Amino acid sequence: MSPLPVDCAVSRSPRVDLAMNKAADAFTEHAIEIRFGQIGLVQVRIHTTDPGVILDELTGRTATAPQFFQRTAVCLDLSPLSTEASVAEVRAVIDTVKRAGMLAVGLTQGSAAVDELAKVLEMPTFAPYKTPNRPVPVVQPPDPVVEPPPPALMHHQPVRSGQRVYARDRDLIVTSTVAASAEVMADGCVHIYGSLRGRAMAGAHGDAGARVFCQEFNAELVSIAGVFRVFETLPAELAGKPVQAWLSGEDLRFSRIGG
Amino acid sequence: MTEIIVVTSGKGGVGKTTTSASIACGLARRGKRVAVIDFDIGLRNLDLIMGCERRVVYDFVNVIQGECTLRQALIKDKRLETLFVLAASQTRDKDALSPEGVRKVLDDLTADGFDYIICDSPAGIEKGAHLAMYFADRAVVVVNPEVSSVRDSDRILGLLASKTQRAEKGNGGVKEHLLLTRYSPRRVATGEMMSVADVKDILGLDVVGVVPESVDVLSASNAGVPVILNEESDVSRAYEDAVARLLGETVPLRFVDEPKKGFFSRIFGG
Repeated sequence: MSPLPVDCAVSRSPRVDLAMNKAADAFTEHAIEIRFGQIGLVQVRIHTTDPGVILDELTGRTATAPQFFQRTAVCLDLSPLSTEASVAEVRAVIDTVKRAGMLAVGLTQGSAAVDELAKVLEMPTFAPYKTPNRPVPVVQPPDPVVEPPPPALMHHQPVRSGQRVYARDRDLIVTSTVAASAEVMADGCVHIYGSLRGRAMAGAHGDAGARVFCQEFNAELVSIAGVFRVFETLPAELAGKPVQAWLSGEDLRFSRIGG
Repeated sequence: MTEIIVVTSGKGGVGKTTTSASIACGLARRGKRVAVIDFDIGLRNLDLIMGCERRVVYDFVNVIQGECTLRQALIKDKRLETLFVLAASQTRDKDALSPEGVRKVLDDLTADGFDYIICDSPAGIEKGAHLAMYFADRAVVVVNPEVSSVRDSDRILGLLASKTQRAEKGNGGVKEHLLLTRYSPRRVATGEMMSVADVKDILGLDVVGVVPESVDVLSASNAGVPVILNEESDVSRAYEDAVARLLGETVPLRFVDEPKKGFFSRIFGG
C-alpha cells in the first residue's frame, strides 16, 4: 500500500448536509447508509509531551481561526518525539488537545510502538500524508502498468454556499464561481475560472506540488497539502485579482497571475 | 401544460408570501388558471395576505390525509375568477406533509387543467421547504439586498440544483429566477445597501424583478389585498413587470435608480 491519505467517514463539518438529508429521509427506507468519503484531517505533530507547552501553542494557533478549529477532528503525529511516548503521556496530550477545542480521533502510523499505543487507547491509526522525519520501512512494490492520469473533473455550475465538490485523484476545474462557504477540493490542482469566495483545497492527499488557481481571488481559506491560510491572513492586496497559490516548503505562497 | 413555480428564499421575512400572492394574482389577471399553495404548515400566512382567512374550512393537510377532496379545500378568490388558494394547516406540524401526498395534490391540480401552481415555501431548508421545491419546474428566489439573505439564497440555489425531482432526473434542472425585494435605490446610492449588480454578480443569475421597499406592502398585507392589486403603488408595477418577465416578455427594469429630484423639490426639499 502506498503511503496514503487519511480516509475515513468522519466529517469535519457535518452541519452542511444534515438539514436536507433529514428531509430526504422520507425517500429512503434503510436504517443506515455506509458511505466512504475523503476529508482533510488536521494533523498535529507532537514535538513534546509537556501538556502546558502544547496547550499554550495550540491555543495561540487556534485563536487565529477559532471557528475553523472548534471541534475539529485531528490526527496526532507522534513521530517527531525523540523518545517513545507512554500511554499516560499520550492520554495527557489528547486531553490537552481537547482543552484547546479540538478532538483527537487517531494517531498517525509510524513505529510499532505507535500501533501498540493506538490499540491500548482504542484509536485508529492513519497513514501519514507526508514522509515522516524518521524513515519508515516501506517496501516499494514493483511499478504497476502506468495508467494515464484521469482527466480533470469539470464543474460548470456555480458551487453554491454549503456545497462541496471533490475531485478524487485528479484536478478540478470550475468554470463558474465558488460562493462564500462553499468548498472545492482536489487531490490535484484546483482551477477556478470565476470568483473564489469560499474554500479551496488542493493536494488533498498530500501532493505538495498541487496549486490553486483562480480568476478572482476572494477566498475564505486556501489549503495545499494540509497547509492552509484563512481569510484574515490572506494577502489583502490580491483581493479580486487573478491569483495562484502554491506550497514552498511549509509556506503557502500567493502571487498574481498575468501581471 | 401546468407549470409548478416555487417561491423560496431560505431566509425568513424577505417577502416570499407577498411575492407568491402577487405573482399568483398577476398571472390570474392575465387569464391564467392559478392555484397558490401555502407550504408553511403550522405557520400559515398566505390566507391572510390573500384575504381569505375566514373562508378556510379545509386545508392542504386535510387533502393529503384524505379528509376532504381537493375541490373542497380550494378557496376561490373573490376578486379573480381563475385564482384559487390552498391554505396550510395551522394546527398540524410540518411532518404532516409527505412526498407522495404532495405529489398527488400537484398531479390532481395538473389534471384539473391549472396553468400555474405557485408553491409558497416556508423559510429554512427543512421538510416544508424541501417539498415545496421538490416538484418545481421553475423557482423564484426572493432575496433582500443584504448579505445574509444573499448567502441563504445561494444555499437554496444549491439545493434547487441538487435536491429537486428535475435535478435528480437530469432533465434540465429547475429554471431559476431572482427577485429582489425591499430594494431602496436611495440606500444603494449611499452605499448602505447592495445593488442589483452586486447581488447578480454574487448569485450569478439574472433578475426577474426588483421590487422597491414601500409602506404599501404592509398596508396591503393588513388589508388582505395582494399588493399587486394596489394600482397606485410602485410595488404593484414592479410585480406586474416580474409577471410579464416570467411569461417571457422583455420589460426594462424600473425602480432601480434614485428618482431625480426636480427643481422645486431641490429648492424646497421634499
